[in-house]
Amino acid sequence: MKGRIALGILIAAMALMPLLLDPRGYWIRVLAITLLFAAMAQAWNIVGGLANQISLGHAAFFGIGAYTSTVLLLKFGISPWLGMFAGGVLGGLAAFIIAIPTMRLQGHYFALATLAFGEVMRVIANVWTSLTGGPGGLSVPFTAPDFFAFSFKLLRPHAYIALAALVIVTAIFEGIRRSAMGYRLRAIRQNPAAAEVIGVDTTRVKLQAAVISGALTAMLGTLYAQVAVFFDPDTVFGIAGISIRIALIAILGGVGTAAGPILGAFFIIPLEEIMNDLLSSRAAGLSQLAFGVILIAVILWRPRGFITVFDQLWARWSRMRSP
Amino acid sequence: MSLIQAILDGLLIGGVYAVISIGLTLVYGVMGIVNFAQAEFLTIGMFVAWFAWAFLGLDPVLAAPLSFAVAFAIGWVVQGQLIARVLSAPSVAQIFLTVGILIVIENGSLLLFGSQFRSVTTSYQTESLSVGPLFISVPYLIAFSMSLACGVALWWFMRASWFGRAMRATAQNPAAARLMGIDTALMYKMAFALGVGLTAFGGAVILPYVTVFPGVGGQFVVLMFTVVVLGGLGSVAGAVVGGLAVGVIQSLSSLFFPIQLQNLVLFVVFILVLAVRPQGLVGASR
Repeated sequence: MKGRIALGILIAAMALMPLLLDPRGYWIRVLAITLLFAAMAQAWNIVGGLANQISLGHAAFFGIGAYTSTVLLLKFGISPWLGMFAGGVLGGLAAFIIAIPTMRLQGHYFALATLAFGEVMRVIANVWTSLTGGPGGLSVPFTAPDFFAFSFKLLRPHAYIALAALVIVTAIFEGIRRSAMGYRLRAIRQNPAAAEVIGVDTTRVKLQAAVISGALTAMLGTLYAQVAVFFDPDTVFGIAGISIRIALIAILGGVGTAAGPILGAFFIIPLEEIMNDLLSSRAAGLSQLAFGVILIAVILWRPRGFITVFDQLWARWSRMRSP
Repeated sequence: MSLIQAILDGLLIGGVYAVISIGLTLVYGVMGIVNFAQAEFLTIGMFVAWFAWAFLGLDPVLAAPLSFAVAFAIGWVVQGQLIARVLSAPSVAQIFLTVGILIVIENGSLLLFGSQFRSVTTSYQTESLSVGPLFISVPYLIAFSMSLACGVALWWFMRASWFGRAMRATAQNPAAARLMGIDTALMYKMAFALGVGLTAFGGAVILPYVTVFPGVGGQFVVLMFTVVVLGGLGSVAGAVVGGLAVGVIQSLSSLFFPIQLQNLVLFVVFILVLAVRPQGLVGASR
């Protein structure tokens, strides 16, 4: 109940935001990026939150989505809407391929293997110049504004598309969390051996979750490419910029909960932007330094995520209501 | 012949990889924490050695103990003030605390020292010894020898000294160690400080052939993880084997593949090793 109320308020607030911001301005772009990162952290949450398999390589799927749609558009003139689904298929396939060797791994080992996989994709994208343009990056060509071509004059439609994506991914996450699959994933999180004993096909469930998560992340990569307009391998396959940031958002917000990634994204992305705005003109590194300090402080203060603050407030409030 | 030359070069570089990675594996072995900020202490070690060279005229190899001491002090504080607080927190909180430390150190050094590349000049930098048809690069040889000395010293410390034995006891069973009167919090500080100190030491000895800048640690992150995973996370002896193996793999792959693919080969080996033998090539013992 409380979750549903909170989520409803959140979505309504987010739906209003694009209208309040200057459609030509800087902050509507920040909003669109924030919503996309919230959606990505939510997709990450399917594997990271429910099964506690901490992936540090989601940039691999993200970059695949960004490159697939953009390459299809550049070489064949295919609309990014279709490219998004092609990217989703490839992202799911990549998730399947990497899941096979890494599935049995747990904890730090899984995190490290996925980290390396992200790096593999980054190196490949840098070297395969004929397809990706190499380190020089790719620009999404500008065409006449047209919804079906995924081309808009202003950023407001992008913000709404990102919001829709966030709502859809959140719905998928909630659907999975409440389904038999969600229970199986949580059984794996609690005790993989016991889950296996009571008849959970752990391999199959983990594979399914990984493929869904990878495919969704790749589709969000397409949306990002359309907002960013220009990207290169080090941006979309970046460890710090994408992989770690996605996981960090979910973790700071509250891992395994639907509201966590949204809280996390609305904390981290605007914070980084404000820091850049305020500090980067003063000295190089200052804004990131401040970001790191805040990150450390938040983790020491709330090692289980921001969501615990709200849980505490809610508990206090219900106690006050019914003494 | 170039094959043997490549293996020789690989072993020499790999000896240094072993020392910089021992710290990572030591921290994991004693506390169960994967320190993503470990490579940043390599950067710190390199900067200390560079400033010692620029202002005191000290050779980077002689400055290595200084690098060790500075990183040791920083590590002592970081463990006592930050990491000690998340020892019982979920592992995600531990991972991201160290990621926060990584961000702070990298950008702190950017703020303090700027983004320019710094290198040292030494008399032996470009020299090499010829042994029959083979060439041994002098800076590689010196870095390797220093690493070897450092590794032997650590081995002695862990085997023979009371502190080393207490640290190993803490790694095996903290509760039992406490019952034996061992101050485990002190041991954790010691292990972390020693671990990052070793990495900084390695940073100093490679300075004659690696340029230092604030992001230099980032280039070693996946490499260090590959080394410790190859050898088995938590195993010091494994890190030595892993370091040498990574050095040779890197050196050999540059014979057969273009330079941009050098790391790709490493990452693929890394994933395959994880998939086939997650306990490492050496085994599960620590």
